[in-house]
Amino acid sequence: MTTVARTRKDVAVVAHLLRRAGFGATRDQIDQYVAKGYEETVEELLNPRVGQPEDQDLMDRYFIASVEARSPGHADPQWSWRLATSEKPLEEKIALFWHGLLAVGGVKLDHGLEMLTEIDLFRRVGLGSFRNILFEISRNPGMMYWLDNQNSHKGAPNENYGRELLELFSMGIDDLGGGAYTEDDVKAAARAFTGWASKPTPPPFFLGPFPMEFRFDASDHDNDEKSFLGETGNFNGEDIIDIIVKKRASAHFIAMRLYLFFVSDEPDEGEIERLTDLFQETDGDIRSMLRYIFNSDHFKSADVRFRKVKSPAELVFGTARLTDRFDIPDMDSSMLANQSLFMGQHLLNPPGVEGWHEGEEWVDSGSLIERVNFAASELGRRDSHGVRRMLDRVGSAGDDLEPEEFVEACLDALGSIELSPGSKTVLVEHAAQYRSAVSGTVDGTDRAVEMFQLIVSTPDYQYC
Amino acid sequence: MGLENFSYSHTIGIASFQGRGFMNPVDVRLDSRGLVFVLSRSNAGNKDVRVSVQTQDSEYLYEFGRWGTEPGQTTQPTAIALDLEDRVYVTDEFMNNVTAFDREGQFVDRWGEFGTGPGEFNRPSGIAIDSEGNLHVVDHLNARVQKLTPDGGFISSFGTFGTAPGQFNFPWGISIDREDGIWIADWRNDRIQRFTPTGELVSTLGSSGRDDGQFDRPSGVHVASDGTVFVADWRNDRVQVFAGDGAHNETLIGDATLSKWCQEFLDVNPEQAGWRQNAGLFEQEKRFWRPSAVESTNDGLVFIADSCRHRIQIYRRVHALVAT
Repeated sequence: MTTVARTRKDVAVVAHLLRRAGFGATRDQIDQYVAKGYEETVEELLNPRVGQPEDQDLMDRYFIASVEARSPGHADPQWSWRLATSEKPLEEKIALFWHGLLAVGGVKLDHGLEMLTEIDLFRRVGLGSFRNILFEISRNPGMMYWLDNQNSHKGAPNENYGRELLELFSMGIDDLGGGAYTEDDVKAAARAFTGWASKPTPPPFFLGPFPMEFRFDASDHDNDEKSFLGETGNFNGEDIIDIIVKKRASAHFIAMRLYLFFVSDEPDEGEIERLTDLFQETDGDIRSMLRYIFNSDHFKSADVRFRKVKSPAELVFGTARLTDRFDIPDMDSSMLANQSLFMGQHLLNPPGVEGWHEGEEWVDSGSLIERVNFAASELGRRDSHGVRRMLDRVGSAGDDLEPEEFVEACLDALGSIELSPGSKTVLVEHAAQYRSAVSGTVDGTDRAVEMFQLIVSTPDYQYC
Repeated sequence: MGLENFSYSHTIGIASFQGRGFMNPVDVRLDSRGLVFVLSRSNAGNKDVRVSVQTQDSEYLYEFGRWGTEPGQTTQPTAIALDLEDRVYVTDEFMNNVTAFDREGQFVDRWGEFGTGPGEFNRPSGIAIDSEGNLHVVDHLNARVQKLTPDGGFISSFGTFGTAPGQFNFPWGISIDREDGIWIADWRNDRIQRFTPTGELVSTLGSSGRDDGQFDRPSGVHVASDGTVFVADWRNDRVQVFAGDGAHNETLIGDATLSKWCQEFLDVNPEQAGWRQNAGLFEQEKRFWRPSAVESTNDGLVFIADSCRHRIQIYRRVHALVAT
């Protein structure tokens, strides 16, 4: 392989990594990561520095209503800003993953402040052990309220949390509705979580919301013996979690969900089994599982590249990162979450405890129009830092490019995007028309911007 | 520990998207009649911005400057000022302009657009009026203060971006003292800077931190008629009071009781009242959450915009401050 070919492959693989482990990157950022090296980039993504973002004060300054966010809509500017600008992309991506898997719906909770607290929880612990993630979410007051655990009492347990903990958060059910657990296990889990609840807060209607807090009420906890997944004892919620995470069904469930979110919409059972093993070998360490995924030949192969439908959040914030037009929070940045909503993903308000149905289900005729219009509009912002750099990059490729070379230069400038032969042929034919146009009627900048917009309007751009 | 030089008086306000009440009030000013003008910033996406006018006894009167980009409307309003004729000026960070209303809320004029030139703005923030009726506008992202005639004519400006003495780092609030000295809440430098009327630095107050005399993103500064200096210590959720020479005097953390409007709300919503009693967070309810601006009267009333609790907390001075 020549140096040029090797470099091109390096760029393609790093670009792929950044699309999956984050929300994509500009071509310049890709170059920086290529220079750093693939495995070093994986480690940087997996080990984000700890601490509050330095621009949190600015976010709060311009969007004061989001500081005391009374609803998910009021909280939107906060997460939109992080998704569009965070220098710790995997931290946001893993928060999005858990937000969809351990889903708390804003419609019922209707507490934007708590939703942001939950996203922060996922940032903080989302790359750690699954056991700790389950423990933390079980002490999350928003989750306790969402799944009615404040109504679960000693002698009168509410089974909602215990059931979803097993069915949707850890062990799962098979296609026939069966599972690795029984109804008796659900009942035992519910009894073990009695007394776990959120503290009452004043109603938000006259002074705004108050931060929610977890409360364990020992007097309302069922201390009697329980049998759960073959073990018997005086279990509390923490014991239930410890038992759950030892089961291979839980390992397989999380391996499957990580694979579907980070690798491909089509499960590969061999890869998922290997991830399942790794879960059990590492006590469910999510960072170790992602390290394995990102460094695997399977992940880097062309077989899975551009084979996963972008979620609305991936499309919106990936495109926003590409155009790189937000230096300081503003009205446009605050409204990005609305764009995702228009495409079918209402961040901070998943449709139910199952989260979102992903993959091909993201795209229908209505959402496709929203996707194309949004992306084309963003790429038309030639005053943005990102588009200006793309134009410079295409310009530096030469003044007299053949149509195919011109399309290739535009694809490269957009962050090493690959197109199907059919899409590419159409774009090359379109580029050829520039040559037959009367000289001077369309300048080079206009041509490049139009080509950027055409590229992000292709079916291929809907995949990452 | 109780307050030494102030006593809590009462609170005006309730969270409300329109009419009686406020939504994230970021500024408060009084007119010559003693009416309270409150600027609700809200979340521009929810279109609840407005200036609302009420008496100090919580009688709601009217509102104006609601959401929009047409003349007489605001989108991301940040501050208000009233001149000696009670003309009301509102800065808008989204439209990069200043709108003037009469005291009844009728649109008078507006001027300004995005830019760095004279009379242009990049997110105009705090606004104050000197003894001659000229406007001083904190041109937030241009890191300068512009002096304008009452109808928007450019007079002069001073300030550059930076952290050195006299420079600004995302400045926000402004106050003009009785000698027309200019006080700026140099927000991201965690300090208050005092300038002569022509923009020469006189002194600096504060540094970063949580101790007395330190600030975490001070948003508002107000110099009372007797020279007392109030600083809305925004991210420390408190208001600090200083003598005119900069000596720290008192710290207010919020003492709110239920406003008349809140009490009425709970009276007619007993389920909500029961919910509140059950929560029992009465101490938390009292405290400031991002107080952003301070106003005062000559007879010692102090009005504090408690932004994230949708209310104005009012204190009364009980002892005159003595400069050390």
